[in-house]
Amino acid sequence: MKTELEKKMRIPKFEYFHPSSIEEACSLLYQYKGEAKVLAGGTDLFVKMKKKEIHPRVLVSLKGISNLDKIEWHDKEGLKIGPLVTHDALVHHPVVRERFDFLAETCFKIGTRQVRNMGTLVGNICNASPSSDAAAPLLVLEAKVKLVHLNGERTIPLQEFFLGPFQTALDPQEIVVGIQIPKPAPFTFGSYQYLHKASSVGETLVGTAVLLIMDPKDLISQEARIALSSVAPTPIRAKAAEKILKGKKLEERIIKEAAQVASEETQPRSRPWYRREMSRVLVERAIFQAMEKIR
Amino acid sequence: MKKQLIELRVNGETCELAVEPQRTLLEVLREDLGLTGAKEACGTGECGACTVLIDGKPILSCLRLAIEAQGWEITTIEGLANGEKLHPLQKAFIQYGAIQCGYCTSGMILNAKSILDENPKPSKEEILKGLEGNLCRCTGYNKIVEAIIEASKGVD
Repeated sequence: MKTELEKKMRIPKFEYFHPSSIEEACSLLYQYKGEAKVLAGGTDLFVKMKKKEIHPRVLVSLKGISNLDKIEWHDKEGLKIGPLVTHDALVHHPVVRERFDFLAETCFKIGTRQVRNMGTLVGNICNASPSSDAAAPLLVLEAKVKLVHLNGERTIPLQEFFLGPFQTALDPQEIVVGIQIPKPAPFTFGSYQYLHKASSVGETLVGTAVLLIMDPKDLISQEARIALSSVAPTPIRAKAAEKILKGKKLEERIIKEAAQVASEETQPRSRPWYRREMSRVLVERAIFQAMEKIR
Repeated sequence: MKKQLIELRVNGETCELAVEPQRTLLEVLREDLGLTGAKEACGTGECGACTVLIDGKPILSCLRLAIEAQGWEITTIEGLANGEKLHPLQKAFIQYGAIQCGYCTSGMILNAKSILDENPKPSKEEILKGLEGNLCRCTGYNKIVEAIIEASKGVD
């Protein structure tokens, strides 16, 4: 006899497909309409299935399709991250470490050692948790999401991909085949700062990413981008705060002003006062940390 | 759902099995292969009790389908000792009393092995960061960390 607990922790039955091409995967999604889910790392999907939050009749695994676990760097187009690239692969990838150091650092913060070996960056984005750590650095890097379906493809900014808590622009018949990050301009510096809950999973309470494009000679910011996670229904950009910094010499007064404005752009649902205060503190810290890298 | 024939490489041996697609690697290891070293505790990837190594890297066998564990070299705690000769980590865990109820131990030792394989002389902080996905509810982590540091002394 199985105990109630044992039964609860089983994955409910499903029909399993492991196509060998994206086209084949798309036609399976088309065939099964909304009843099929795409399987990559499984760290979010199987937890939801075990908790009976979702009940897909069909799983379409991407693992049989070659080259989806590749990280590619092109001098013109920038970085391409396939849908089976794990967080661990990004942490260790030389180009990511060199050109996108704060993205690699963020990936090292995600989950645990075991989760980083299984979970994928694309899966993290598709889960669309408001507290996704990876989302904030990807937003300031102006990442794009490439989606394909049976009859075509589209590429949309990550900002437009997030629609609400755990909701994305992904159609049930589409597959995210990659994240694209444009090549950073010269003198680009970034930082991710966060505070997490003291719980077994350490979910992020506030996450802030800052990207500065700034000539080290004059410390004038040609461009500043700020993104926050866990303080609104989706990860957000703080555009008003960004405007304050653009074209200015980054001195303490203006950095504090921008951090204040960024905190006012948040829309936290729970613990709003604390989350806003921490947004202000962490945006300020992230700007200073990014500037540290300039010297 | 129809069973599928799969082939797993576990602790150096090839095993042929017929499994339903929804069964996890953990279930198959424990129930079909009798390898009960890996444990199920949370079942949702938070506690690390089900940790096994695939090609030397730690993963959560409670969140991996058995059919998707094909093609990897799987190592469970049962495969760590060399015959009667315990692995240095197993010896150090005994020596330092880094075990109470033992439920987390298999996962702790396997993850510790992967930490030492990647970085033979980790600092205490690096060990603690590495073990963030393995929960022990009996005691602190001091004896476990001490045991791993002891085991690392033999790695050169």
